[in-house]
Amino acid sequence: MHFLAPMLLLGLIAAVLPWIIHRIGRRRARPVRFAAMELLLRAEREVSARRRLRDVALLVARTALAAALPLAFARPFTEVRSDLPAVTTHSQSAVIVLDDSASMRRRLHGDETPFDVAKARARDIVEHLSPDSEVALVLASEGSAAPVAELSGDRARVSAALTAVGGSARRADFAAALRRASQILTGSTRGDRLIYVISDLQATGWEDVTPAVLAAGPEVVVLDASGGEPWTNHAVVGLGAEPAPEEGARGIAVVAEIANYSAEPLRGLGITLRLDGTEVARGFVDVPAAGRARKRFVHTVSGVAHQAEVEIDHDGFMLDDRRACRVEASRGLRVLLVDGDPRTVRTEDEVFFLEAALRAGGSNFSVTTILPDDLANRDLASYGAIFLANVARPNATTAAAITRYVENGGGLFISVGDRVDADTWNQTMKTVLPQPLGLKRSASALPGTRPEGETVDLRPAERLAPIDRRHPLLAAFPARGEGLASARFFQFLLLAPVPEAPGRRIVLRYENGAPALVDGEVGRGRVLLLTTSVDREWTDLPIRPGFLPLVQEAARYLAAAPSGDATATITVGAKREIVLGADDKRIEIVKPSGDSRSLTPAAHAGEQRARHVVLFEETDEPGLYRVRAARADGTVDERPDAAFAVTLDASESDPTRLADDKRPDRANARGAGGPPPRRRLELWHALGAAAIVLVLFESLLTLRFRRGRVKV
Amino acid sequence: MTAPKSLALDPMDIARLGSMSVRARVIVEGAFAGMHQNPHAGSSIEFSEHKEYAPGDDIRRIDWKAVGRVDRYYIKRFEDETEMRTFLLVDSSASMGYGRKGVTKLAYASYLAAALAYMLAQQGDPAGLMLFDEKTRQFLPPRTRAGHIRDLLVALEAAYAAGRTEPARALAEIGEIADRRSLIVLFADLLDAPADLADRLRQVRSRGNDVVLFHVLDPDEVELPFDEVTDFEGVEPEDARRLLVDPRDLAASFARESAALRERWRTTCVEARVEYRFVTTAEPPAEVLRAFLFARQRARK
Repeated sequence: MHFLAPMLLLGLIAAVLPWIIHRIGRRRARPVRFAAMELLLRAEREVSARRRLRDVALLVARTALAAALPLAFARPFTEVRSDLPAVTTHSQSAVIVLDDSASMRRRLHGDETPFDVAKARARDIVEHLSPDSEVALVLASEGSAAPVAELSGDRARVSAALTAVGGSARRADFAAALRRASQILTGSTRGDRLIYVISDLQATGWEDVTPAVLAAGPEVVVLDASGGEPWTNHAVVGLGAEPAPEEGARGIAVVAEIANYSAEPLRGLGITLRLDGTEVARGFVDVPAAGRARKRFVHTVSGVAHQAEVEIDHDGFMLDDRRACRVEASRGLRVLLVDGDPRTVRTEDEVFFLEAALRAGGSNFSVTTILPDDLANRDLASYGAIFLANVARPNATTAAAITRYVENGGGLFISVGDRVDADTWNQTMKTVLPQPLGLKRSASALPGTRPEGETVDLRPAERLAPIDRRHPLLAAFPARGEGLASARFFQFLLLAPVPEAPGRRIVLRYENGAPALVDGEVGRGRVLLLTTSVDREWTDLPIRPGFLPLVQEAARYLAAAPSGDATATITVGAKREIVLGADDKRIEIVKPSGDSRSLTPAAHAGEQRARHVVLFEETDEPGLYRVRAARADGTVDERPDAAFAVTLDASESDPTRLADDKRPDRANARGAGGPPPRRRLELWHALGAAAIVLVLFESLLTLRFRRGRVKV
Repeated sequence: MTAPKSLALDPMDIARLGSMSVRARVIVEGAFAGMHQNPHAGSSIEFSEHKEYAPGDDIRRIDWKAVGRVDRYYIKRFEDETEMRTFLLVDSSASMGYGRKGVTKLAYASYLAAALAYMLAQQGDPAGLMLFDEKTRQFLPPRTRAGHIRDLLVALEAAYAAGRTEPARALAEIGEIADRRSLIVLFADLLDAPADLADRLRQVRSRGNDVVLFHVLDPDEVELPFDEVTDFEGVEPEDARRLLVDPRDLAASFARESAALRERWRTTCVEARVEYRFVTTAEPPAEVLRAFLFARQRARK
């Protein structure tokens, strides 16, 4: 034990005062020769034990009090050995990279988490840094902000930032965090520049930390906050919904994927399905050691959009023991096909393949086919999507009706053919065309290699360029575009060049670079323009495997009706775009915790679409996010179709530990040099508290003693 | 029944009086001043009973009027012929010497004994005195001769407190001497009295003696009024007991023990048909004497 003011220890002499007063008091006792000694001794025997105990307690309390005060004023402290590296005490510029990823929120012992340990170690570092050192604080989770983004000598500020920071549910990204830390340290002129990474050393998040990244930056010291015990985990790593035809049109199947990251198989793991917050099914699943298993729940739903959540029996990491998704029952979309080239031979009809694709089993589309002249008599607003197939010349009335339909949020699919008069289209349908129609072009190239089983057609043809799956239309296709790649295009329309426009995207291109499918936004609606036919005159696409999903997805896309939860499930930290309905003025999003945020589209947004979309960024909590819309008339309605689920990145569930040879501090012997620093543990606060307790105790004892005498 | 204040002097006032004879007289007069009837008035010359004459009887006491009426010889007997010998036993052990603020217990017991002796002498009743500790220190047998009362009062005045106490032994010794009609009055503090005192009281009482026990205590021995740390030590020889204590801690317990002691002796006396009278040295002796006499007068009626 050490003292900051040792001279004040002289006051300890006062500790003997109670004893001296006690002894003097006894010495000064008046002697009395008393006859009734027998009575006196009997009385003494009756109370002696209690009296002696009280006397001793009082004497000890007063002595301790007299000793505690000078001891506290002498400001005692002790030093405890710290497990921080010796380099911590050097004068330096340091950046603390605190791992706040999801895996840091698992439980170690009791309620303590690795994140708690990491914060404690970060505080230790801040306390041990030499007074002239500077420090910054960076978080390691993907996309997170730095709480202290510049080097600061203000320890209190850094400590306050450490106290305020909470664990996230995001994935770790140490490469980005180290880059950020390196940038912060770039401005420092000190010789010693260090990055302290405090993490549970889960392998996830370190993938992009390459030797090149480390070589370019300052020295890295890694501190383990995992508690040193191996971590076993099981998690729900996937959740999806699919139609369940065996249960009828309203049948859905919710499929959960459970991963077991331990070396022991899991037997009878409890798993529960909740729909819209109500438990509807419970079962058990066996998961092999270090393997995965799927559990399929079948259920019949009444509405269209539902929120599903699957939860398994908890382990130490509860964040990944549940997963949510939005489930949509098929809504029976109404589609209007306008046949611009009807034929008596059914298979030669312009919309034969289109109709067949939309009527395919399980698709649940309601398809109506009409001729162009009948368009004027139709209530177009009742259709989710309209397909104009090889329509020759839309008249002004028809064009106006279609334009109005699209601008009000309708979806329009345009396919061309030999009957299409490009000039008329460019005049009457100018508003809705994503790009003006150009000349008809016949393919000049011979077809390439013939995939096995392909129908032999020796006409020159174009193929599609590799697809970009980022577009929602193509999200369901394999990465290499199988099903579309084999299609051949003998003829197609070129499109007139136009400047880049927001909201217009080329979805598919031919190998020669010409657009094959263009996506454009018109008002609140959407238009897809296919530059070839949907029959077999210009292309063999209709008989390729990719035609059916392309047409069905196009219909759903145009009607803004996704088929499953693919677009309604995002990862923690991702942004969510929500489209406002015709009457929606404001969107309110309710988080899983119950907190809500109100969002209004920017009124000044130049782009027409931007006036009908809000972007929600606070997706840090895994779970289901409900969406409510405030209408123009003041009512607020639930928008189940817009609800979405935020899920944990499954890689955060994987307890695989970072290999030793991947640790950035392995080649670094500096951290182990010298004796570990010692931490000062101040004792005077405890002594002060003890003195207060002693005063209270002494007062209580004396009061009881006096009350006892009053009873006499 | 309370006496006039001027006559019921308190013990300290009594102590300031010149001699034991004066003290005795003042106490007796103070006691009688508050009574409605003076028991002294002719008590010994009042007719008591007739007895048929027998050879040897004093012929001067033949009731001639009765001879005239019934033609038989009767002897008149008077109260004085029912004289009662009284033994005053005063404990003079060291414990009786305690008296912190007032008179000592021995002095107080001496005042009461002197007053009783004086009063008995006035009645012509013989009174004896025994001063004792563990042994008989002085014994004056009951007599009616002139000068006896003076010897007795001198002995009481000269009494001093010393030695251990053995009241049982003193009582046994008096029991051997006293005849059936004796009155035995014991003054003692009974703080260290042995258990056989109770047996001795019963024994003496069973022989037809009238026994009165004056249990004399100092007020300090009833409640413990000390208010600072005190080093208590025993007073009797060979009593090496000491106790350094804050008396305030013991006051309640001490008062209970003292009350228990008194209750124990009171019960013992009731069982032995011995008159028990508890007094403290703070009480005016005249009041105590008057209460005693009044109680006996009422008992006789």
